[in-house]
Amino acid sequence: MEKFEPVIVAFCCHYCAYTAADMAGSQRLPYPANVKIIRVPCSGKVDALHIIKAFEKGADGVYVAGCLEGDCHFKNGNERAARRIAYVKNYLEEIGIESERLEMVMISAGMGQRFAQTATEITEKIRALGPSPIRTATAL
Amino acid sequence: MQNSTRLQSQKNKVLVVGGGLGGIRTALDLAEAEKDVILVDRAHTIGGLMTQLDRTFPTNNCDLCTLSPHLSEGSRQQHIELMTMTEVVAVKGSKGNFTVSLQTAPRYINLEKCTACGECLQAFPECVQFNAGLDHRAPTCMRYPQATPQAFSIDLASCTDVQALVAVCPAGAINPDDITTTREVGCAAIVLSPGAELFDPSHLDYLGYSSFPDVVTSLEYERILSASGPTAGRLLRPSTGQQPKKVAWIQCIGSRGLQKGAGAYCSHACCMFALKEAMVTKERFQEDIETTIFYMDMRTFGKDYELYLNRAKNDCGVRFLRSRPHSIVQPEGADGLSITYTVDDSTTQITEEFDMVVLATGFKTSAASRRLAAETGIEMNADFFPVTDIFNPVVTSVPGIYVAGTFEAPKDIPETMVQGSAAACMAGADLPAARKIPDDEEAVLPRERDVSGEEPRVGVFICDCGDNIGGVIDVASLVEDAARLPHVVVAKAEGHGCSRLSMDNIRQTIVDEGLNRVVIGGCSPRTHQGKFQELLARAGINKYLLEIANIRDQSTWVHSGKPAEALSKTRDLLHMAVAAVVKAQPLSDQSLPINKNILVVGGGVSGMTAALQLADQGFQLYLLEKSPQLGGMARKLVKTIEGGDIRDFVGKLIERVEKHPKIQVFTRALVVDHSGMPGMFKTGMQSGPQMFYRQLEHGITILATGAMANRPATYLLDQSPAVRTQIETQQFLTDQPETVRQWDNVVMIQCVGSRVPENPNCSRICCQAAIKNALAILEINPEARIFILYRDMRTFGFHEEYYQRAREKGVIFSRYSLDRPPVATTAGDQVEVSFYDPILSRELTVVADALCLSTGMVSDADSSEELAMIFKLPRTADGFFLEDHVKLRPVDLPVPGFFVAGTAHSPKLIKESISQANAVASRAQTMLARDAINLGAATARVEGKLCAACLICVRACPFGVPFINADGYSEIDPAKCHGCGMCVAECPAKAIQLMQFEDDRILAKVEQLFERIPV
Amino acid sequence: MITAERKPLEELIEFIRPYKRILLLGCNECVTVCAAGGRKEVGLLASGLQMALLKSGSNIEIRQHTLERQCDPEYVEELVPMLDGAEAIMSMACGCGVQQLAGRFRDKPVFPAVNTKFMGASERQGVWAERCQGCGNCLLGVTGGICPIARCAKQLMNGPCGGSTGGHCEISDDVDCVWQLIWDRLKALGQTERYLDIMPAKDWRPAGGSGPRKIIREDLAE
Repeated sequence: MEKFEPVIVAFCCHYCAYTAADMAGSQRLPYPANVKIIRVPCSGKVDALHIIKAFEKGADGVYVAGCLEGDCHFKNGNERAARRIAYVKNYLEEIGIESERLEMVMISAGMGQRFAQTATEITEKIRALGPSPIRTATAL
Repeated sequence: MQNSTRLQSQKNKVLVVGGGLGGIRTALDLAEAEKDVILVDRAHTIGGLMTQLDRTFPTNNCDLCTLSPHLSEGSRQQHIELMTMTEVVAVKGSKGNFTVSLQTAPRYINLEKCTACGECLQAFPECVQFNAGLDHRAPTCMRYPQATPQAFSIDLASCTDVQALVAVCPAGAINPDDITTTREVGCAAIVLSPGAELFDPSHLDYLGYSSFPDVVTSLEYERILSASGPTAGRLLRPSTGQQPKKVAWIQCIGSRGLQKGAGAYCSHACCMFALKEAMVTKERFQEDIETTIFYMDMRTFGKDYELYLNRAKNDCGVRFLRSRPHSIVQPEGADGLSITYTVDDSTTQITEEFDMVVLATGFKTSAASRRLAAETGIEMNADFFPVTDIFNPVVTSVPGIYVAGTFEAPKDIPETMVQGSAAACMAGADLPAARKIPDDEEAVLPRERDVSGEEPRVGVFICDCGDNIGGVIDVASLVEDAARLPHVVVAKAEGHGCSRLSMDNIRQTIVDEGLNRVVIGGCSPRTHQGKFQELLARAGINKYLLEIANIRDQSTWVHSGKPAEALSKTRDLLHMAVAAVVKAQPLSDQSLPINKNILVVGGGVSGMTAALQLADQGFQLYLLEKSPQLGGMARKLVKTIEGGDIRDFVGKLIERVEKHPKIQVFTRALVVDHSGMPGMFKTGMQSGPQMFYRQLEHGITILATGAMANRPATYLLDQSPAVRTQIETQQFLTDQPETVRQWDNVVMIQCVGSRVPENPNCSRICCQAAIKNALAILEINPEARIFILYRDMRTFGFHEEYYQRAREKGVIFSRYSLDRPPVATTAGDQVEVSFYDPILSRELTVVADALCLSTGMVSDADSSEELAMIFKLPRTADGFFLEDHVKLRPVDLPVPGFFVAGTAHSPKLIKESISQANAVASRAQTMLARDAINLGAATARVEGKLCAACLICVRACPFGVPFINADGYSEIDPAKCHGCGMCVAECPAKAIQLMQFEDDRILAKVEQLFERIPV
Repeated sequence: MITAERKPLEELIEFIRPYKRILLLGCNECVTVCAAGGRKEVGLLASGLQMALLKSGSNIEIRQHTLERQCDPEYVEELVPMLDGAEAIMSMACGCGVQQLAGRFRDKPVFPAVNTKFMGASERQGVWAERCQGCGNCLLGVTGGICPIARCAKQLMNGPCGGSTGGHCEISDDVDCVWQLIWDRLKALGQTERYLDIMPAKDWRPAGGSGPRKIIREDLAE
């Protein structure tokens, strides 16, 4: 069997995490290509439905990346996002998907290094968990 | 060009001489502030030196990508008349009323007819002159692919068959009878930014530059690395055409007075560009190449530049040798170049062979610039740079004539940008009040085609961005793949998509193919979305029918080491963008009137300067100062190194501010809350002894909150009376010269609390402060023995000459390293300082009457953190405010409507703070010139019939915008909506959509991504 | 409004396990407002069920729809063209909606996806609390606008029991003693004398004690 390469969706807020991702680019800080970024204006915009849909479609991991605590461009979007992620994690467990496959991270615009590091850590964690049970089940 | 009639013979405009980056910034700032500009450049196209660079520090970005949007703005702006191949031949008159004769050389090409099709270039294959001396000059030349104006020019003298050349042009644009023309223009102010040229080392035979092809200048090396260069970006030795294995850089060629014909000054930018070249080389070739930099002092004193140096050392494996090799030789029969040098702690000579040697050549003013200076009558210094005001470096000896960029003094790009804006501010102030021109943009843009009801017709345009994308992955295969996607009718590779030529191609394709959706695969939408949106508008379709796949910053740049993965990810990103753009809908922008009052936070020199400039332009200013008095850090300073009287200067500045009718000063003021959006902010503050609360309404916010003097508890500071910081030393010299006269030994220690793990950055100001104080001590007490213990002397620019003077006067400089720092112990009222001297190779002990610590500056962490939280602004790791773009937008903060000046940005000198303050005033005016502010279209929209009026959106909105209307459903005022989308994510009825980020658009990306996952 | 909460996924899966095609129905009224059964919850549940079933090896088709109100026959009628092929219906509405569906579509099994909880009010974003039990004879006029039927565990009519301490109910410190609230409110209104009026034993017939209740507006009823 081919080596397992997880597919990970990263919802990144425009003002911080997405900017940090660009910065990782301009500083040429490599991170795994498994991470696919979707830009959103604020992490608080990420709908529970979008996360669940990503898993349903076959994502092995999803993370939502917002600004640092207290730094949200829209006041508290990142905190709302963090609460929502905690809620969705419970739902994932109920469905039978390891809740570790979903994370909320906070990265400021200047942290290209942290972006690359987080992307690497999350990819490694998901790699260790193996393919999502949904992906495995679909393959049967 | 088309506006030339309107601009003729008016005195209310500014002449900008030199179309490099600084000149373009000046012209754009003035134009955006509704002021008329004539921009002249001697070259065929504008862009200056920067267009020749491969990448820029500290982000190692490709320059063309960052510069080209500026260039095309330059020629588009309706307030700018661009005259290339033009020189100033005479200047008459005075401030407010200059008459300037401009002479334009023949281009032999009619700009109106030339389409830059390149036929002439193809017929004459060796015709790109741009390669900095590495290739032959050709009869026609366009300097680089994104050139502005977008036309060729011809060197008639080199052309052997003029008739054939004329015949080859399908547009009939070649005109061999073109002649030199002269024209007189009137202007109120002149900004000189002709740039500098690089030192030519040809006459220094010991460097072998003229004899060995593998000895190149740093600019030539940039061209070799550049994707648009002579080797198309492949690093090849000029002698053999093979890839070199060992490359060396030699610093300070033509700087620091070392060679014949060299300036006595330091050229400021060379350490950084050598570092950049070495790092880019290492990044590209990894283990296959060795890079060595021979240096005297590494001068990485700019914002976060020390981190860049550390990265080069620790992560990239660039080798650093503190040594000054005398010569470069090629032994008989040898293939390589050999360099003989000695290193620290040793007298042994080492000879080492290199494949290529890069000479880091410094800046000097060109002969043409010197003629220009003579023509304008501005006073020049001994180094042939303009003499400028001690506190305002863009002001020359002639009123109404300003300077900016490397012509003023050697400097890097961000500082050039700052001066470009600062000069715009000064020159703009000399003009009569701005004249509003009716906005005829509507007329220029074609009517928007109604695409509703049409099946999606998607065009996919993929940039190769030179090597940035094309060097990592095969763009052609992506194009083929994209063409097969549903709804895609055209897929094309577009070189540099943001270049004028490509933009025109894309526009034409949109029109010809009747496209109604566009996908650009290129760089980040953060930087380029606006430009491509505008392109769509020019092509007659709604600008929101666009998706940008960020395949450079988020794919090829980060996965360059794994091309297969980069290709597959890039394909995914493009597929996702196509799936999403199909769901895109036409939208219209919201706009609102702008409040033209300005809030300045911080009443130091920067804040006061910016406030005064803007108040003089008639705007209402609110100036907030945390302490009971205005003046900031400058209150503690006495004199500048040049002898400028800071106390007097600051005193007068405070007086002007306090008396100005348009400036309202609040002392003991604290910002407590903030809301609103650019053009309509509301900031709450408490001020005065009673801490009264008041809310200010303003359209712009300027942060000039300064930094703090660092005070690390080390070297007996605050324990021994003989130990002082440099600031205290200066005060002491002024207040107690009698005591200073008694001093025998003085020791100064540099980098105390800077360039250490706790605070890795350089404080920039300390080396000159130490030298300033050392010279002042010798002035009072010529017998004093002064030891300066340093790590690298960073006396950049003209400060180098003070460093030389200090050495001449007998100040002893001894270098220490971080792993063996000096040790200070108390000895009565004195201090005993022991240190290891690397030249004597032994430990020395000095009993000092005074120990002066160069403690530098740190960010005022508490207050900057609080302000960053209140205003939602990012900061660097060490707590300084992070600008929007470290190279090109150094005073704009990432949140529109916010600007930063002075040491709140990073440590800097007073005159540098003042330049930034003036730059901020200029940038602010570009916003204030408009009466309305565009809010974009990313607003939330409620579908009334789905709404359950549950109030969840009303409660979720951080800005309190939604309300339940009389019809019983939620309503969101698009003019108030900030576009965060929180209501959308929480609506239980899915009745709200955020425009541009609609659910179906996001889900389309998710679904598309997993389409390809094997099941 | 009527409040509800989604049932555990496990229970719902057992309902639908035998079927291949089901229709999942939301309601745009009370259950949307209390974030239990609106369009969004329908989407989340559909995906969740789909995934959970996939894991156990079955693959079913779940169609989603949300009605303006499931408790009105006209809205329910909208479903007729959608039911083709659906073997079962799962409703995210309150019990009224579920029964309305079951009454209309007699040949299809109808399952509740939520537990209908109580008639409640929203305290703040995301928090709902019980306020009314529909006893059919409202006392609020004499209890300071605070209901001892819905908010007293013992439904006491004449003051608190001995378990009221420090304003809390003995059941839990999180529950206010409703009689403390009533007393405070009466005091604030200057109507403490009302507390002295003895209320007679509650007649539970209008509360449903004599069987299912019905309201007929004769002028409207056809």
